[in-house]
Amino acid sequence: MAEAASEELKARVLEYLAKVDKAKSHDIAQALKEKKSLVDAAVRELAREDRVEFLYIGTSYVKLKGK
Amino acid sequence: MAESRTPLLDELEKGPWPSFVTDMKKLAQRKPAVQDALGQLEMSYRDKKGHWKHGGIVGVRGYGGGVIGRYSDVGDVFPNVAEFHTMRVNQPSGWFYTTEKLRQLCDIWEAYGSGLTNFHGSTGDIILLGTVTQNLQPAFDALSEAGFDLGGSGSDLRTPSACVGPARCEWACIDTLDICHDLTNTFQDELHRPMWPYKFKLKIAGCPNDCVAAVARADLSVIGTWRDSIRIDREAVREYADGGLDVERAVVNRCPTGALSWNAEKKELGLKAEECNRCMHCINMMPKALCPGVERGATLLIGGKATILQTAFLSWVIVPFMKLEPPYEELKDLLRRIWEWWDENAKTRERVGELIYRKGMREFLRAVGLPPAPQMVFRPRANPYYFWWPEELEGNGHKEQG
Ligand code: SF4
Ligand code: SF4
Repeated sequence: MAEAASEELKARVLEYLAKVDKAKSHDIAQALKEKKSLVDAAVRELAREDRVEFLYIGTSYVKLKGK
Repeated sequence: MAESRTPLLDELEKGPWPSFVTDMKKLAQRKPAVQDALGQLEMSYRDKKGHWKHGGIVGVRGYGGGVIGRYSDVGDVFPNVAEFHTMRVNQPSGWFYTTEKLRQLCDIWEAYGSGLTNFHGSTGDIILLGTVTQNLQPAFDALSEAGFDLGGSGSDLRTPSACVGPARCEWACIDTLDICHDLTNTFQDELHRPMWPYKFKLKIAGCPNDCVAAVARADLSVIGTWRDSIRIDREAVREYADGGLDVERAVVNRCPTGALSWNAEKKELGLKAEECNRCMHCINMMPKALCPGVERGATLLIGGKATILQTAFLSWVIVPFMKLEPPYEELKDLLRRIWEWWDENAKTRERVGELIYRKGMREFLRAVGLPPAPQMVFRPRANPYYFWWPEELEGNGHKEQG
């Protein structure tokens, strides 16, 4: 089982997504200077909590739920 | 007689075969969405132009894959298919169902969708065609209740699939069904939440006949094989010869590696096991006389598929032989290392095979910690696809090639 993502990182992911229309996990990791695997874990939890959603335009992106 | 509204589609009802048009017309009598789908399809045939747009946000709570948003670009003409989303449902390993489960699936889709199904999509999933956004969550809840889950779509792990393997087939060298089921359960996050540069397909075939066409379609192919020698029942070989099979012409001369020989006088088949490349030809020709060896496992190959950024690829061998026993940790660890390297290095929409093509097999092998092996050929029977690192070449004046 993957480790739980830190609440602090989840908050930073949400903050980043609030500033952009959509982003790949890879871009979020680069912008936040974090390891991709940690960002993936944070996004996964945020998806389960229904706070982010996925958008498909040729490839999959993450965006803030309802934004 | 009234003129048909679908003269072009009607052509597809002619001939001796079952026709999807006939089925759709039957369903259209009680499903207005199917009536409009037929109308739109006729328009597409007439205009030689597709009228579906796909993508956008459609999904169910917590999931990023499994629903493909589909919209009509002529929704004003065909309002009942203005939204016509597809749900991909994870198929059972080897596509075995009870009739009770099939009925449940159909009832759910009657209630929440168009009733149109496709068993199965090219990835292997059960495809439920045509529903509206507001029905997605209730349909998903009903599917979950019936014991089903969504499959993959978008930039995630696509639903793993496997041949029927040991359930029906005597050639299965590995338990394809268990491996597929186990990997599907282990990689639920990878399947449902798309975090990668692009899709990744995983297919498992029980023997090199590769009935799931993994080598041409999967990013990682797991192909059952054997390490020792084909087993030969000499008496049964003689029976084939006595029964009229020209063993020399139809079997021995067609062995691609010259591993077989034939003594016509004694009706005896010879085999140089070390020359056999497991093409399965002789076994397929004489199934009662020949069968795979007893030391069984799998060959792993990477990079198949008609890709977007490069040309079409068949897969390359990366592990000539791996023993595969539950809980398949060696395979799972390797998959994680492959995904990490690909995720780190790929451009958007670049499949792992394309990345290897761009960066080189050498980079890939070092990154994922696999040793080079002679089976790693760029094109079969052509040239090796591994070049040694300069520092690994001892006291020589060789220049690196390629
Ligand atoms: S791939 Fe091999 S084991 Fe699987 S169904 Fe085909 S012949 Fe049988
Ligand atoms: S499996 Fe293929 S390569 Fe091996 S002995 Fe038979 S025909 Fe030859």
